[in-house]
Amino acid sequence: MAITEAPQVHTPQPEPRSGLLAWLTTTDHKRIGILYFINSFSFFAVGGIIALLMRTELARPGTQIFAPHAYNQLFTIHGTIMIFLFIFPMLNGFGNYFIPLHIGALDMAFPRINALSFWLLPVGGLTIVSGFLTKGGAAAAGWTSYVPVSLQGGTGQDLWIIGLLILGVSSLLGAINFVVTILRLRAPGMGMMRLPIFVWSVLATSLLAILSIPALTTALILQFADRHLGTAFFDPSRGGSVLLWQHLFWFFGHPEVYMLILGAWGIVSEILPVFSGKPLFGYRGVVLSFMMITALSFTVWAHHMFATGAVELPFFSITTELISIPTGVLFFNWLATLYKGRIRLEPPMLFALGFIAMFLIGGIDGVWAASPAMDFAITDTYWVVAHIHYVLFGGTVFGIMAGMYYWFPKMSGRMLSAKLGHWHFWVQLIGFNLTFFPMHLLGLRGMPRRIADYAPDRGWTFLNLLATVGAFLIGVSMLIFLANVILTMRRPRDAVADPWGGNTLEWFTSSPPPPHNFDALPEILSNRPVYDARKAGLVPGGHA
Amino acid sequence: MSLAETIGDQRAVRGTSSPVLGMVLFVASEAMFFAALFGAYFTIYAGANTWPPKGIETNIGVPAVLTAILVSSSFTLQAGVAAVRKGRMDRLKRWLEATLLLGIAFLALQAYDYSQLNFAIRQGAFPSLFYVMTGLHMAHVIGGVVLLGMVYVQSRTDQLSMERHEPVESAAIYWHFVDVVWIGLFSAFYLATMR
Amino acid sequence: MNRHRKVVSHSRARLIAVVGALPLLFTGCALHGVTTQGQAVDTLYNTIFSLAAPVFVIVEVLLLFLVFRFRKRDDREPPQTQGSNRALIIFFIIPAIIVAVLFPFGERTLSEVQAMPSPGVTIRVQGFQWEWTFNYVNEGFFSTGKTLTKPALMELPVGQPVHILLNSQDVIHSFFVPQFLFKRDVIPGRTNSFTFTPTEIGTFNGQCAEFCGLYHSKMTFIVKVVSQLDYDAWVKHEKKAALNATCPAKGQTVTMTAHNISWNTNCIAFKAGTPFKLVFQNQDTGIQHNFSIYDSSARKKNFFRTPRLTGPTTQTFNGPALKAGKYYFQCDVHGPAMAGVLIVKK
Ligand code: HEA
Ligand code: HEA
Ligand code: CUA
Ligand SMILES: [Cu+2]
Repeated sequence: MAITEAPQVHTPQPEPRSGLLAWLTTTDHKRIGILYFINSFSFFAVGGIIALLMRTELARPGTQIFAPHAYNQLFTIHGTIMIFLFIFPMLNGFGNYFIPLHIGALDMAFPRINALSFWLLPVGGLTIVSGFLTKGGAAAAGWTSYVPVSLQGGTGQDLWIIGLLILGVSSLLGAINFVVTILRLRAPGMGMMRLPIFVWSVLATSLLAILSIPALTTALILQFADRHLGTAFFDPSRGGSVLLWQHLFWFFGHPEVYMLILGAWGIVSEILPVFSGKPLFGYRGVVLSFMMITALSFTVWAHHMFATGAVELPFFSITTELISIPTGVLFFNWLATLYKGRIRLEPPMLFALGFIAMFLIGGIDGVWAASPAMDFAITDTYWVVAHIHYVLFGGTVFGIMAGMYYWFPKMSGRMLSAKLGHWHFWVQLIGFNLTFFPMHLLGLRGMPRRIADYAPDRGWTFLNLLATVGAFLIGVSMLIFLANVILTMRRPRDAVADPWGGNTLEWFTSSPPPPHNFDALPEILSNRPVYDARKAGLVPGGHA
Repeated sequence: MSLAETIGDQRAVRGTSSPVLGMVLFVASEAMFFAALFGAYFTIYAGANTWPPKGIETNIGVPAVLTAILVSSSFTLQAGVAAVRKGRMDRLKRWLEATLLLGIAFLALQAYDYSQLNFAIRQGAFPSLFYVMTGLHMAHVIGGVVLLGMVYVQSRTDQLSMERHEPVESAAIYWHFVDVVWIGLFSAFYLATMR
Repeated sequence: MNRHRKVVSHSRARLIAVVGALPLLFTGCALHGVTTQGQAVDTLYNTIFSLAAPVFVIVEVLLLFLVFRFRKRDDREPPQTQGSNRALIIFFIIPAIIVAVLFPFGERTLSEVQAMPSPGVTIRVQGFQWEWTFNYVNEGFFSTGKTLTKPALMELPVGQPVHILLNSQDVIHSFFVPQFLFKRDVIPGRTNSFTFTPTEIGTFNGQCAEFCGLYHSKMTFIVKVVSQLDYDAWVKHEKKAALNATCPAKGQTVTMTAHNISWNTNCIAFKAGTPFKLVFQNQDTGIQHNFSIYDSSARKKNFFRTPRLTGPTTQTFNGPALKAGKYYFQCDVHGPAMAGVLIVKK
C-alpha cells in the first residue's frame, strides 16, 4: 500500500482562516459548501414556518387567520422555497463540500464560477420572497405556476419569474462545474467505477440539470413575454396553447424531482455500507440504475397531465411505471447491504434507515398515480400532497439529515450529540407520519389540494387536525436539531479524522480538512480507498 | 513538487481541457433551450389552420442572405481554429477579423429585416414565436460576437498560442451552435412558410 | 450505551405498531364510486392495493428484520460480500414482473372509464372564476351558481349515461366529484368530454380541483341523482321558469352593470324597431366582461356583441334595432352565470 505524500503544499491562494470578508469572497469549495448549508437551512426555516401557518389555517374548517388571497401566496412560496431554495441547494452543498474530497481534488474545476453559483441563490431567493412586500402580494399561482392563472398575477408573479430565472442560472453553472470537476479532476487511480456512489448521484443530477433546466427557462421567458410584451403563446383566442406551459414545465419538472432525490440516494448509499461494515452490495447495479432513471425521467413528464385529456395516456403510464424498476433495484441493493452486516445504529444510520422506510411509501404512492384511471381520482387531491412529502421529506429530508449527522464531524471537527440525534430522529419520524399519512386518506376522500378552506360536513376535519398536530411535532424535531448544532458548535473540537470507519477519501484527511484538502492521499485501488488503507495499516489523518 | 502539482499534472494528461468541456456542456444546455422553443413552435403550429396566419408575410430574400453570412462565418472561424492549431497566429487574427465582420453584418442586416416586416409581436401566436425566437437567437449572436471579440483581443495581446488556445476552441463551438440554430429558425420561419 | 439501547428498543416497538397499522388504514376509507366508471376505478384501486401492500409489507418487515438480526454484537468483521450479476438480474426481474401485471389492469380500467355509450342526457359545463354553469343541451335550459353564495346544481336521472362537455373562457378548472372517483380538466381553447352513468340516488358534492385563483376553494357544486320521474318533473319546472321572466321597458337606454360576476338585472326590455343605447359598466377589477344578445340560450344567432373590457371601466355603445320578441343576453366570458332575458316590445 503506497501513499502519496506532500511534505510542503503551496495553496493556490492562501486565505485568512476567519473573518466575514473572507467568507464573502471565498472560492474554497468547502466554505462555499457551508454557505450553501446556511442559506438552505435559513430558507428551510422560512418555508417550514410558512407550512406551519398553512397547517394552522387548515386545522379547522372556516377562515381563521388567512383569507384565500394570503393562503394562496403561502402554499406557492412554500413549494417554491422548499424545492428551489432548500432541497436542491442543500444537496448542492453536500456536492460542493464533498465532491472534491471524494475524488481527491483540491477544489472545483471553476472556483470563481462556483462562488457565483452560490451567490445567485440568495439573490434569486430574496427576489421571490420580496413579492410579499408588493401591493398585490407574492406569487399566488402554485409552484407550478399554470397559465392562465399565473398571467393574472401581479408584481409578485414577475418577481417569482425573475427569481426563478436567476436560480436557473445558478443551478446550471453549478451543474456544469460538477460535471467538469468529476470528469477532469479525479486523483490518479480514481477511475469512473471507483467513484463513490455519491459522486455518481451528483453526476446524474448535474446531467439532468443541464438538460432540463433550459425548458424551464424557456417557459419562464414565454410567460414573461405573455405578461408584458403582448405575445400570445398561452392565449388560445389568438392561436396560442394553454397546455404548452404544462408541457414545458413538466419536461423540466419531472427530471427536477429526480434531481431532488438522486443526491439523497447517493448519501444513503454511502452511509449504509459504512454502518453495516460491508461494501455496497451492488455498486454497478446502483450506477446502472442511476443512469436508467436519468434517461427515463425525460420520457414521463405528462403523467402530471393525465387529467387534461390531451396526452397519450398508455405511453406516459408505462414509462412512469418502468422507473419503479431501477428504483426497486436500489432498494434491493440497500437491503442486501444490511444482510449479514454489523449494523451500528448511530444517528446517520437511523436517518438512512428512516429514509428507506419512508421513501418506499412515497414511491408506492407514485405508482398509484402512474395508472391514469386511478390518477383521475387522486390527482390534485391531498393524495398528491402526501406523495410529494413522502418522497421529498420522507425521502430527501431524511437523507439530508443522515448526511448532516454523518459529515458534521468532518466539516466542523465536532461530533453531534448522538443522544439528541436519537431524539431528533424519533420525533421527526413520528411527527412526519402524523402529518402526512392522514393526507392519503384526505385525498381518497376527495379533498382537493390548494384550497384555503373546506366545509365542515365533508369528513375532512379530524384528519386535518391530526396533520396540523404532526406538523408542529416536526417543528419540535427541527428545534432539537438546531439545539444539537448550537450546543455542539460551542464545544471544543473533538472529532478524529475518521470517526465512523469510513470508506471514502474525505475520511483520510483531518477533520476539518486543511484549505488544500489533503496532506496525503492513499493509493486508490477500489471504490473504498480508505477501507483499503485501514486494512494496510495506514492511519487516516494525513500522517502515515 | 507539491502534491497539488503532481495531481494537477497527472490529471491534465488526456482528453479535452476543462474550459472546452465546460463549453460543450453549456452548449448542450443551450441546445435544450432552443429545443424547448422549437417544441413551442410545433405545439402551436399543430393547432393552427393556416401557417402563417392570413395577412402575415415573411419574405425569404434577406434571410437567405443572412443564412449565407452566418454559414460562411462558421467556415472563416474554423479556418482560424485550424490556423491556431498550427501556431499561425497572424492568420488566426485575420480569420477572427473576418468572422467578427460577418457576425456584425448579420446583426445589422437582421435589424434591417425586422424594420421591413408587416406584422407586430402582438398580432397573435405566429408573430409571438417569430419575434421571440429570432430575438433570442439574435441575443445569442450578440453574445457570440462579444465572445469572439474577447478572443480577438487575446490574440492581439499574444495571450494565445499553439499550446494555449482553448478560448478559440470554446468560442468556435459556441459560434457553430448559434449557426446551426439559425438554420433551424430559417427553416421554421421562412422555408416552412413559403406559399 | 445501555440507556441508548433502551430508548431505541422502546421506539422500535412504536415503529412496528405504526408500520403495522398503516396498511389497515388504507382499506375501508376510500370512496367506492356511485357511477359504473367510479366502481371500475374502485376495483383498480383494490388491484393496485393488492400488489402494493405486499411490496410495502415485505420491504418494511425485511428492513426491520435485518436491522434486528444484524445489530452489531461484537467486533468481528462481517463478510465483505458483494452482489453477483445474477443477483442484479433478479433485482431487475422482480419489479419488472410487478409492472407487467400492474400495467394491463390499469389499461383495462382506463378503457372502461373512457368508454362513451350513447347518452341520455348531454350537459355542456362551463367553468369560470369561480362557479359553474350546467347547460342542458337537449332540454334547452341551464342551471348556474354564484360565487360565494350559491353552488350550481346538476340534477341527473339514475341509470342514464350522462355526457359532459367541458369549456372555460378564463383559466383552467377541473370538474371533480369525489364520489365519482373521477375528474377532468376544463381548459380554455379546448373542449373535453367524458361520459358516466350514475348508479345510486343521492346528493354528491363536487368541487373544482385545479387551482384557479382567489376563490378556487369556493368553486363547489352539487350533483343530485334522482329517479327518472323526479328528474322529468325537475326538467319541466326549470324549462317553465326559464320562459316566465318579464319586466317593463324603461326607454331605449339600458345600463348594464357587472359587479362580482353578476349583472345588476336579469331582465331588460325596450321597444322594437328603434336602435338602443347601452351603457356598459364593469366594476370587477382585473376581470373581463362583455355584453352579447342572442336568439336564445342555445345561442344559434348573435344580434349584438361588445368587445371584452377589463374592469373597472364604463363605456357606451350603440345597438341595432331589433324585431319584437324574446332574446337572451349574457357575458360571453361567464356565460349563463351572467345572463338574462331581453324582451323587445312592439
Ligand atoms: C423526490 C421527488 C419525487 C420522486 C422521487 C418521485 C417519484 C415518483 N413519482 Fe412523483 N411527484 C413529485 C416528486 C417525486 N416523485 C412531486 C413534487 C409531484 C407533484 C408535483 C405537483 O403537482 O406539485 C409528483 C407527482 C407525481 C405524479 C402526478 C400526480 C398528479 O398530479 O396527479 C405521478 C404520476 O404518475 C408521480 C409518479 C411517481 C413515480 C411512479 C415515482 C417513482 O420514481 C417511484 C419509484 C419507487 C418505488 C415504486 C418504490 C420502490 C420500488 C420497489 C420496492 C420495487 C417494487 C415496486 C414496484 C414495481 C411497484 N409523481
Ligand atoms: C422538500 C420539499 C418540502 C418540504 C420539506 C415540505 C414540508 C412541509 N410541507 Fe409542503 N409542499 C411542498 C414541498 C415541501 N413541503 C410542495 C412542492 C408543495 C406543493 C406546493 C403547491 O401546491 O404549489 C407543498 C404543499 C404543502 C401543502 C399543501 C398545500 C395546499 O395544497 O393547499 C401542505 C399542507 O399541509 C404542506 C405542508 C408541509 C408541512 C407541514 C411541512 C413540514 O414538514 C415543515 C417542517 C419544517 C419546519 C417546521 C421548519 C422548522 C425550522 C426551524 C424551527 C428552524 C430550523 C433550523 C435549522 C434546521 C438550522 N405542504
Ligand atoms: Cu376553478 Cu379551481
Ligand atoms: Cu413526475
